[in-house]
Amino acid sequence: MAESYVHPEVLVSAEWVQAHLNDPKVRIVESDEDVLLYDMGHVPGSVKIDWQGDLQDQLTRDYITAEKFAQICSRAGISADTTVVFYGDKSNWWACYALWAFKLFGHKDCRILNGGRKFWYDHKLPISTEVPSYAPTDYKVAGSDESEIRVFRDAVLAHSKAGLPLLDVRSPKEFTGEKLHMEEYPQEGSLRGGHIPGAKNVPWGRSVNDDGTFKSIEELKALYQDEIGLKPNDTVVAYCRIGERSSLTWFVLKYLMGFTNVKNYDGSWCEWGNLVRVPIAKGA
Amino acid sequence: MSTMPPALEAITKELGSADRQERIELLIDFAKSLPPLPEELAAFKDAAHRVEECQSPVYLFVRVSPDQIVEFHADAPIEAPTVRGFVAILVEGLTGATAQQVLAVGDDLVERIGLPEILGMLRVRGLHGILRRIKAEVARAMIANDLAPPTAAAEHSSRTQ
Repeated sequence: MAESYVHPEVLVSAEWVQAHLNDPKVRIVESDEDVLLYDMGHVPGSVKIDWQGDLQDQLTRDYITAEKFAQICSRAGISADTTVVFYGDKSNWWACYALWAFKLFGHKDCRILNGGRKFWYDHKLPISTEVPSYAPTDYKVAGSDESEIRVFRDAVLAHSKAGLPLLDVRSPKEFTGEKLHMEEYPQEGSLRGGHIPGAKNVPWGRSVNDDGTFKSIEELKALYQDEIGLKPNDTVVAYCRIGERSSLTWFVLKYLMGFTNVKNYDGSWCEWGNLVRVPIAKGA
Repeated sequence: MSTMPPALEAITKELGSADRQERIELLIDFAKSLPPLPEELAAFKDAAHRVEECQSPVYLFVRVSPDQIVEFHADAPIEAPTVRGFVAILVEGLTGATAQQVLAVGDDLVERIGLPEILGMLRVRGLHGILRRIKAEVARAMIANDLAPPTAAAEHSSRTQ
C-alpha cells in the first residue's frame, strides 16, 4: 500500500478534472510559460491567467494589488470559495507559481492538476479552443500573512548567516556559477554567478517524473529528507532565478511533504546576483 | 524600409495592423504551418544548428546560393508555439530574399510585428536571438561564397549545414 502525500487534496488527477469540468464550484486555470498555448487548445471551460501579464505588476517588481487580483478573479468567475485548479506547461512550473501568487492573496482552495498540460495532451483528453465567459463574481480578497510563504532579501541574508536550510533549485551549472542562467534561458541577467552561501542544490526537476506528474512521497522523502537532510519542521527558503521553479519546490515541500515553514524567495538569483556586497558562494 | 524582403514586408503589415487577438491567432497559424525540415537536414538537428539564445530547442539551417539568394529552413517544437510561430514568419518572410536584404532586416522586427504587446518584454528577448543568428549565418555564408569559386562555395556551404 503506497503512502500518500501529506496534503493529498491539493493534487487532483486528470480524471478528477474531467469529472468536474462543469462543476460551478470549480474553476480550471491554465498558466503557461508560452502564452500562445492556451489559445491553441485547453481543458474545456478553463481560463487563462498569465503569471507575467496578469499576476505581476507591470511597473514595480512585485505582484498586483489586491484590487486588481479581485478583478482578475471576478473576470474568471472565481469566488472566494471556488476550488481553483491550476495546470500548465513545463511540469506545472507556472501553475505552481500562479498557485503561490493566489496564496499571497489568501485564496483558500487552490490545487494542481497532476501532470499538467503535457499529461492531459499525452492522454488525448478533451481539449477546446473556445474561450469561456463566466458571470463576474464579487470577489472578496481574504488576504494573508505573506511572510508565511514569501521572503525578501534581508531575511534571506539573515537566514543564510544563521546557517538555516536554503534550497537552490536551479540547474547545477547555475548553482556553481559556471552559467548565469539556465541552459537556453539568457533572458534574466545577473552580474554575478554562484549561489547564496549555505544553499544546497536540488534542481526542481528532481521532484517530477518524465510524464509531468510529481514523484511519489517515498521518492520525495528519499530526496529531501534522506539525501539533503531537511526536516519537516525546518524553516526552509527556496529560490531559483525569478521564483518560478522554486514555486514548484515550495509546493512539493509544503503540500506534498507537509513542511510547516517553507518560503519562496521570489527575488531569487536575479536579485541576489545583482546586489552589491552580499556574500556569494561559487562551485559545487 | 523598402529594403525589407517583400514577403516579410507583407507579413509585417498584416501582423502590425492586426488587433491583439488576431495577432495571437495569426502567430498560432504560422506555428502550425511551419513546413517540416527537408529530410536531408532533419538528421542534422544538433548543437551546431541550435540557437543558444532561445529557451526552446530551435534549429536553423541557412544556405546562401552563389547568386546570393538565401535558402532557409528551421524547426521548433509545437509545444513552444511562440518561438515556432516567429521562426515560421522568418522562413516565409526570408526565403528567396537576397543575402543583402536579410542583413538589412531591422533588429526591431520583433517590435514591428507587435510581439512585445502579446508576449511581454521578458519573452521576446529570445526571439531577437533567432534573427541575430540568421543574420550571422548569412554573413558567414557570404564570406565563404566570396572567397571561393561558385561551385566550390556551394559545396562548402552545403557541407557545413
